[in-house]
Amino acid sequence: MKNILHKLGAVAFLSSSLLFTGCDPEFEDDRTFSAGSLDLTKYVAVGNSLTAGYQDNGLSLEGQLNSYPNMLANQFSFVGGGGFTQPLFSLEQRNGTGYLRLTGFTSTGSPITTTVNTELAVRGLGADGKTPLLTKFTGAINNFGVPGIRVADINTPGYGLNNPQGFNPYFERLLPDNSFTTYLQKVSTSAPTFFSLWLGNNDVLGYATAGGFAGSITATSTFETNYTAMVNALSANNTEGIVATIPDVRAVPFFTTVGPTFKASLPAAVPAVVVLTKNTPTRKVVLKSDIKSAAGGTVLFTLTSAPYLPLVGTPTGKYWRDLAKSQSPTNPNAALQQYLAAFQIDTTKMFGLSGENPFPSALVLDNDEQAEIATATTAFNTFIKAQATSKNLAVFDAFEFFNRIQTGFALNGVNYSPAFITGNLFSLDGVHPTQRGYAIIANEMIRAINTKYGSTIPTIDVTQFRAVQIP
Amino acid sequence: MKSKFLAFLGSAVLTAGVANAGGYQANLQGQKQIGMGHAGTGLALDQSSIFFNPGALAHLRQNGIQLGISALNSKIAYRESSGGVAESQTDNPLGTPFQVYASYGAAESPLRFGIGVYTPYGSTVNWGSTWQGRFGLNELTLQAIYIQPTVSYRITDKLGVGAGLIVSIGSVNLQRSVPLTDENGNEGRIELDGKSKTGIGFNAGVYFQPTEKLSLGLTYRSKVDAKVEDGDIILQIPDAAPVRAQFKGDKFNATLPLPANLTLGLGYKATDKLTLALDVQRVEWSAYESLRFDFNDVIGGQTSSEAQRQYEDSYIYRLGAQYVLSDIMTLRAGAYYDQSPVEDGYLTPETPDSDSRGVSVGLTLKLSEKVDLDASFLYVNKKERTDDASKSNGVAGTFKSVAYIPGVGVNYKF
Repeated sequence: MKNILHKLGAVAFLSSSLLFTGCDPEFEDDRTFSAGSLDLTKYVAVGNSLTAGYQDNGLSLEGQLNSYPNMLANQFSFVGGGGFTQPLFSLEQRNGTGYLRLTGFTSTGSPITTTVNTELAVRGLGADGKTPLLTKFTGAINNFGVPGIRVADINTPGYGLNNPQGFNPYFERLLPDNSFTTYLQKVSTSAPTFFSLWLGNNDVLGYATAGGFAGSITATSTFETNYTAMVNALSANNTEGIVATIPDVRAVPFFTTVGPTFKASLPAAVPAVVVLTKNTPTRKVVLKSDIKSAAGGTVLFTLTSAPYLPLVGTPTGKYWRDLAKSQSPTNPNAALQQYLAAFQIDTTKMFGLSGENPFPSALVLDNDEQAEIATATTAFNTFIKAQATSKNLAVFDAFEFFNRIQTGFALNGVNYSPAFITGNLFSLDGVHPTQRGYAIIANEMIRAINTKYGSTIPTIDVTQFRAVQIP
Repeated sequence: MKSKFLAFLGSAVLTAGVANAGGYQANLQGQKQIGMGHAGTGLALDQSSIFFNPGALAHLRQNGIQLGISALNSKIAYRESSGGVAESQTDNPLGTPFQVYASYGAAESPLRFGIGVYTPYGSTVNWGSTWQGRFGLNELTLQAIYIQPTVSYRITDKLGVGAGLIVSIGSVNLQRSVPLTDENGNEGRIELDGKSKTGIGFNAGVYFQPTEKLSLGLTYRSKVDAKVEDGDIILQIPDAAPVRAQFKGDKFNATLPLPANLTLGLGYKATDKLTLALDVQRVEWSAYESLRFDFNDVIGGQTSSEAQRQYEDSYIYRLGAQYVLSDIMTLRAGAYYDQSPVEDGYLTPETPDSDSRGVSVGLTLKLSEKVDLDASFLYVNKKERTDDASKSNGVAGTFKSVAYIPGVGVNYKF
């Protein structure tokens, strides 16, 4: 009996030792990743709001940490990539410029957003009396993303100088006081071993989101000169990198979300609306059937028009009062009178339905404006791709990518489309991606880099990044 | 004895694990047979013939009761599709498939009655709620317990027949993440939880022993449908009205087929001490065409969800040997090869199945004339499998499973 128990003990011991050691399933092959011939020790990212990590109509610490360059740098670290420094906001000022949060839905299901304005990184008001100054970050950086910057701006001395005529506060925060350094000069000192360059969106986007009312489309000659200068600066030592094209801005939710609802809400007795076009007092008649929806049409209404669309058909000057208040906080009344005179507005007439009180140009992108944007986008993209070819750079064709995904796709059991909020790709401003959207873009870039340079940089698990948060 | 028996049943965690057999079958129905690669349809070893071949039960000379339990440690590793770095591993709870068999017949009677309680199907996988495939599956627990009253008749010394009624009970619990993030960054969750209605089936077998050395067995176990009616849907999703409007259901119905098995077994007594066993088992997995849930109201905007499975019938080949070392000790060893019923494009994280190989050892110790003890140890290694899950709504990637399954049993003869 004792002998039996002894043997039993041996079996038990054998079993348990097998149980607790070397139990894990193992894959046949170890994965190997390689940078190929790339030198990723110093990656530098150049670009605008997309590069900075802007989302939900603001730049915050969370957005910065989840910027696509930071994601790329993290993936590069698997194959010898070096450190990556971003001009991060501090934890105490983590909400940066403030941003939009989804706080509810109206009874008809329209989203209600609220601006987060605590823990901001605002240090005061600029010399122009309206631009908030952001807490400075003047150390060495790898992510040069400056929200709002255009290719047209990269050679402008004083673009980051706090002056009464206006300036870019995101660039201002990266410079010492009273600096006339241009963006090109600042970037030129970075000496990357690998770079990403995604500039040019704002050369059309600013004009587009302003409904053709403000800003302008950059002249193609200016774009080409400046873009060449930037590519030359970055690839000075035959440095390898990736450039990205400009998406068709007309396909983002900012332009596609509210128009169809507005179109459906117009009574049968209303066959058309009257709108202003560009920055002129010229009126245009937009037929109801011309408003873009699934049923057809082309004219786009901006997400920012949402508060004013229900006022169509009522005698109101609310839009112009709001505009005056935002553009001239110190003397809004004078500004209002200027606007009404310049655009020949009679606010006692039916808003949007009468020639005397037309729908504002800033809230609608009509066919003429769209044609200008399309032409410029094509020209810029052709040039970007030609530059990439001549400098042997990888290309992320954002234009092609955003067109390809118009019909939606599924990834890891999640559906994606360009739909506002429910599409998971675009943040609450309707223009900038969600963190998940940025991760998907970063993977597209990694694939483009791998294809171009024969590297095997690993892609990102995009499910680890969030889309829109729902209350 | 009776109270101990019930206590034993009550304390067992009634789950099996995914990594030990094709699909969600758990082939762990007798400690002696596990030690021989789970072959035994052509043998009359003990009361577990109630499961393996009711026709062989009447060839057992003694009455007895047998209790057995296995400790199923299974682990599955996942690696995302080519190009990425994400890997995950299941944190499966210990599965404890068990077996209870008892038989009785008058000493010289050709008739013998038996009852078996066993867990032929089950699956527990826990991938957690952070892995890449979480919108497909967080955790799945399937349980089925068969209760089988059986009668066996020895027509001659060479031929026996038997049949049993199968009464099945069980449950299902499925949890997955919902791709909706709330204000605090928490992802949504849905849990489907239900008990299955009592299912009815049968198990029948023939045992034939043409010579002293050779024995044959053929057994068929019918399909049983595990039907869940009015199972609970438990949701954790954002409160916003447009979201809630898409998730109004709170009950579901579903049916999971527990497929039929046809097994042919061969026993060969090479010497007085050495017995060899060979089984070929056909599992009629083609009964599992889709996993469908019907809801009493919308869930994710749909009143039902259906994912294709389209399993195909598969075969398991088993080989085992038993060697009587001494009066008190018998040793066993075995191996099997188990074809996966899952076709390409249909792999899912519930049962990331592939062809698997099992090797086993076992022994019996005779403690007294009336009591002996079985022990077994089975190691299962499934082939690494990469699938795009394009047809199953599964999770694309590479899966690899292993399982370590020690088991013990006690036999009391009277």
